[in-house]
Amino acid sequence: MTENMVLLLIRPKFLSLKNSISARIVLRRLPFIAIGIGFWVLFYIGTYKVLSYVRGIEFFGEILSKKLFSMTFFSLLGFLILSNIITAISSFYLSRDIPFFLSRPVEIKDIIRLKSFESILNSSWMVMSFIPPVFIAYGVSYNVPINYYISILVALLLFIFITAGIGISIAHILTRLFPAKKARNALLGIGIIFFLLLYFILRSIIPGDLSTPEGLINSVMTFRTDSPLLPSYWITEAILPMFKNNGPDLFYSFVLLSNGAFFLLLSAIIGQWFYRGNIERIQPSGKIIGRGFLKYFYPNKNMAIIYKDIKMFFRDTGQWSQIFIIGALIMVYIYNFKSIPVDAISGLSPFIKELMVLVNMVMAGLVLSAVAARFLYTSVSLEGQAFWVIRTTPVDIARFLRSKFLYASIPVTLLIVFLVFVTNLAMDIKGMLMSVSIATVLMLCISVSGLGTGFGAIYPKFKYENIASVSMSIGGMVFMLIAFSVVIVTLSLEAWIFYLYNLMTELTIFEKIQIAVSLILILLVNAAAFYLPMKIGRKKLQGHIEII
Amino acid sequence: MITLDNIGKSFDGMYAVRNLSITVGSGEIFGLVGPNGAGKTTTIKMMTGLLSPDEGDIIIGRYNITEEPINAKSILGYVPDKSFLYEKLTAREFLTFISSIYSIEKSEALTRMEKLLDLFGIKDIEDELIESFSQGMRQRLLFASALIHNPEVLLIDEPFMGLDPFGIRMLTGVITELSTKGVTIFLATHSLHIAEELCHRVGFINKGSLIAVKNSDEIKSIEGGLEGLFMRLGE
Repeated sequence: MTENMVLLLIRPKFLSLKNSISARIVLRRLPFIAIGIGFWVLFYIGTYKVLSYVRGIEFFGEILSKKLFSMTFFSLLGFLILSNIITAISSFYLSRDIPFFLSRPVEIKDIIRLKSFESILNSSWMVMSFIPPVFIAYGVSYNVPINYYISILVALLLFIFITAGIGISIAHILTRLFPAKKARNALLGIGIIFFLLLYFILRSIIPGDLSTPEGLINSVMTFRTDSPLLPSYWITEAILPMFKNNGPDLFYSFVLLSNGAFFLLLSAIIGQWFYRGNIERIQPSGKIIGRGFLKYFYPNKNMAIIYKDIKMFFRDTGQWSQIFIIGALIMVYIYNFKSIPVDAISGLSPFIKELMVLVNMVMAGLVLSAVAARFLYTSVSLEGQAFWVIRTTPVDIARFLRSKFLYASIPVTLLIVFLVFVTNLAMDIKGMLMSVSIATVLMLCISVSGLGTGFGAIYPKFKYENIASVSMSIGGMVFMLIAFSVVIVTLSLEAWIFYLYNLMTELTIFEKIQIAVSLILILLVNAAAFYLPMKIGRKKLQGHIEII
Repeated sequence: MITLDNIGKSFDGMYAVRNLSITVGSGEIFGLVGPNGAGKTTTIKMMTGLLSPDEGDIIIGRYNITEEPINAKSILGYVPDKSFLYEKLTAREFLTFISSIYSIEKSEALTRMEKLLDLFGIKDIEDELIESFSQGMRQRLLFASALIHNPEVLLIDEPFMGLDPFGIRMLTGVITELSTKGVTIFLATHSLHIAEELCHRVGFINKGSLIAVKNSDEIKSIEGGLEGLFMRLGE
């Protein structure tokens, strides 16, 4: 009867999903679907081009291509485990339906099965949506038969089961050690230490000789992702023979299968041990909060919303603990740029420094899009179901949006500008190049912040269990893609201006017009990115939307 | 003080409220009763500006809620039926936030805050996070926040939700006192005996339309009182 019970518990969720899909909603989502498909195609073309280029490199091409394949799984391993831990804590311990299930004649093991299913789905959907173009590109490049696609799909599912089993088990243990809301904090601390440790160990494995182009290629090739104890190694070894038109490696396929089953079983057993006790330990208590050194501060009308948001941000571990992750990523980012032997690779191209500045800005743009999705896109939704307070009090929605914009854009802008400044310094970039890159990034921060605030107001999600889930929703993903497109368009136009300005000995009138048009386009794109979503978002929030 | 002039609201072609006209004078307590899904909450949401009426006008004081929402909201207080609040703020911080939004001067805000925290019996827990509050305590905080700016109009959706008998008695006293001071009160409720005791007039709404309006004397003269009338009209 237990199997039927799990199906019974899942049924309302599927029915809710079914009932929420209508022709009208599908039509409204069509632009999103189009953007998603566009991204898939671009991602596929990009991967295919890179792969073709890499495979074309003399002597090392094939090894490098396979190395990239194993590095993809290695990165996925860390991402999926961390994502599973965070999702499992929310699903198992913070979901609103938990009291409902606990008060009904439902066995704990059935709740555990249901929540495991939810965790796996919620933590893996993004990977399953974005990663296929990479594997399709590999399949096309190696001209493999159709069974490769089926094998990689099955192997990826088993890989997801392994990471989910590990993640869910860790989530139960952490909640045992800390209350659920603090567990997220603790685990992130542990995660970051682990991540940094791993990173610097890997860096230390790479040979120190980065002073020549050959040394650089050698370094990438000796990057060790192939410990036989890691699931990423098993999946790589299971699939690799298929690039030579053989079948999948049976031994490693079996290792994947048995470990998938083992880790899921392990998570169920640990859940059975800890779940009931953990649930009782996490009930909120009436703890007195000290008023702190700002106890006499009384914000005015303009500051009220920002002050409230800052207070809530630092009290909600689910929010501020993510700063650690961003901090760790930034450390790695800066460390990477510091390690780039700019002088050594200068021999490869005369404009290598300019190219590195461009690459740096693209990377910073990617970080900006991700950070903006997390903090700006979610800033309106952060009001949650308490948004009725804003709507029923004399708060002008334009003022409300400005407050939300300022609350998140100032720290995000400071962070990204600092990032570009420090990495430029690490590469010994000065003068005009430094000024242009800082000015560009400053402009991008403002436009992307406006885009994020406005987009979050157009697609607010006031009913959520975890604010991070809002940034990982379809709307959040689409915002990220659009934000990154703004970055790419701006930088491409700047690169074109640079190309015309520096590589042409004498500018013709036609080229001068091109420079002027490019400059105008840069300003227009960024102004539109800032202004239009804010304007549409304001109208949307002023209209009637279902809040409570 | 409140005028609902032939208002209507529909969702997906289905009327939730239709041709509703009510006028409530200064200091009057008006109760809106009706079965579940009759349109009470939709009416109050339109009066607060949470929903816009498809037809008709809503005047709060001197202001049309659709045309001058900021002015209208400045003079009204609202207590919703669901107590969603900022869980990570303390009760005192929440009241400070609301005071700032209404641009109340600091010393005045602090005085009013002390008074309301005392009045609603939440002084002892003013520095606890709202997430740990019971339903009744949330309801008390909602009332304190709705009154901090001395509103001229108070809109209440299910005022006695989650309150214990002490809380209900305290609240009926507060509502009556506000009314004697000239505050107009519009409440939607299922608690018929309290509505009968408290309201100067009661309106019956069913399937989005106002069926009858009776004053307290008329209700007293009906067999079975408000409950008897409700049962007959609700059929």
